[in-house]
Amino acid sequence: MNQQDMAIVKKIFASYYEEADFPIPKIEQREFGFGNIKKIDARHLNFSGVSEFKRYLATNTPLFVSHSTAYYEFPGATPIQKKQWKGADLVFDLDIHAEGKYGAYAKLEEVKNDLIRLVDDFLIGDFGINKNEIILVFSGNRGYHVHVRDPLFLSIGGEERRELVDYIMGQGLDYVQFFAPDDNKRLIGPRPDESGYRGRFARSVIKLIRDKPTAISRLFSKDKNRDFFIGGIEEGNWSKTSLKFNDLVNRFKVVADELPIHSVDTDVGVTQDLSKLIRVPNSIHGETGLVAKIIGDITKFNPWRDAAVKSDRIARIKFIEDVPQLDMVEVGPFKKDSEQKMPQHLAVFFVCKGSAVFVD
Amino acid sequence: MAEGLDFALKYPFSESAREYIKDLSLSERIVDLGVERIKKALSEKSSPRMLLHESDKKDEIASFASARMILGHLRNNFLTNRFAVNESKIIRTQLDRDDEQTINRVGAIFGIVTKSEGKRLLLDLPTYLRYSLRNPHYRLINRKLYSGFVEVTPDEKKRLIEEAVKKHIENIPLVRDPPDLIKQAGQKLLNEIPKSESRIIIKVESHPPCIAKLLEEMKKHNNLPHHARLYLVTYLLAIGINENQITEMFSDLPDFNEKVTRYQVGHIKKKGYNVPTCATVMTYGLCCAVCRIGHPLNWPGLNEKKGEK
Repeated sequence: MNQQDMAIVKKIFASYYEEADFPIPKIEQREFGFGNIKKIDARHLNFSGVSEFKRYLATNTPLFVSHSTAYYEFPGATPIQKKQWKGADLVFDLDIHAEGKYGAYAKLEEVKNDLIRLVDDFLIGDFGINKNEIILVFSGNRGYHVHVRDPLFLSIGGEERRELVDYIMGQGLDYVQFFAPDDNKRLIGPRPDESGYRGRFARSVIKLIRDKPTAISRLFSKDKNRDFFIGGIEEGNWSKTSLKFNDLVNRFKVVADELPIHSVDTDVGVTQDLSKLIRVPNSIHGETGLVAKIIGDITKFNPWRDAAVKSDRIARIKFIEDVPQLDMVEVGPFKKDSEQKMPQHLAVFFVCKGSAVFVD
Repeated sequence: MAEGLDFALKYPFSESAREYIKDLSLSERIVDLGVERIKKALSEKSSPRMLLHESDKKDEIASFASARMILGHLRNNFLTNRFAVNESKIIRTQLDRDDEQTINRVGAIFGIVTKSEGKRLLLDLPTYLRYSLRNPHYRLINRKLYSGFVEVTPDEKKRLIEEAVKKHIENIPLVRDPPDLIKQAGQKLLNEIPKSESRIIIKVESHPPCIAKLLEEMKKHNNLPHHARLYLVTYLLAIGINENQITEMFSDLPDFNEKVTRYQVGHIKKKGYNVPTCATVMTYGLCCAVCRIGHPLNWPGLNEKKGEK
């Protein structure tokens, strides 16, 4: 982004920040980091309250705004040991990996399903975290963040957090061990009313056999076979079928593979790193101009409608590279050197992505 | 009162132990007992002493406190961790002899409070994570989880308490300016023990992150879980380190026992156990980076360095 464009973008951001709402718990205990060139050019900053923070944003308007997941006694102190760590939110990062500069945006919808499963099945269901202590946030770019502020989990260390991520990602999950033959030569396995992976596995098998019986075996296309088998599973008896035990268990691999959540990102150590800075919910992501919006109802969330900085203005931009068609906003494709008029938030998006420049 | 004193004697980190010794002043005898207590950890004599007199019992409790002061002053990882291992093992034998009520009382000191649901014993997830061991048996994925509670057996509960005691002792706060008695005892102790220089003979940074981390832990005289040791031995054997050298390296560990180590290293070699794949290392809970090499021996540059020390 050139200097001129950055000034225009920052003006738009600044006007948003005047009105923005920042529900940041214990803001005075958090470290802040800001960036224009990189995502974080400066860190170790701290604020006494939201109004001071908002004043800073209105005056300086950085392109990237992050705060620590951690709470500190002295958030502004350096080096980090002097901050005195008091605890940290548990944060999960669901990231979309896709080809090309614009590939990920089409998949924002797909990953919602993982997000819902992460929250409902894992965080609330398995970990027992209170729903009110969880917020879902659009990352402002290619994914979603989940912030967990349950007091019971704030003090757990990096290794413990890693253990939670491994659990969610199914590291070391061996569903074959769910099964064992009993003395009466019955195959005993998980029941659908069990908790954790076992219960989820049983429920998923039942669902699959009901929805798509032949996915496991052609035997189950007959109502009688199917109902008999499912009736057994409900009591933890998986032998009510003529299929051989080993064969049967092997056929369930497709189900087991789908149980973990694969889009949780562990590479960046968001969950594990206890001094990590994360995009401030409701701040703008400088690579897209989209707000890292706190999400109310994930099923209805549409970033282009709900996370855009709204304006009636139309802006003129000139593309400096080819941009493919973007189905989710129904624009494009755009050719290099072509000039276009479009709603301001889309213009800002292409400028922030480095694909276009403003034309006065 | 007598029963209370015995509880305090067995569990010297408890509040009631602190109560008993709060009026005692630091004496040469108490410091000497503290030194002895640390030395006992070095010689692996883990049996508690039989004491009859109340004053002896109180002194013994105080010796735990003075030992902690000495260790907090010395900040010697080897000594501290060795002490932590030994004391937590003693605690485990005590727990095995004690009744459920006492076990609950000790567990509560570390927040290990289980609730019973039918036949099940349930422990809250954050506490479970804090004290669970890094091995497949204790990994969350292999546990029964009920909405924030992990099912544990009575035996596992005792194991978690043992681990909590160990962690508690390992995290001895720094004692900046201790009384002279402590300083002198510390100095004397340092002179008496063998130098605890690391015996790691390979370059830590030329190995995969998970191996490097284990070696670093060992250098710091921190304990390693069973699977970590197994992994390390198979790896070291595979890159050409011999049995003697490996046994020597393992003497950095706080619970080192030469005979046992030599036997186990020899056993692993004889059986020809393979170096586990990355996937297996992951299930051990030992993977700490994303190097995508599939197998630890695929670590770049390792082949040229094979056998190099």
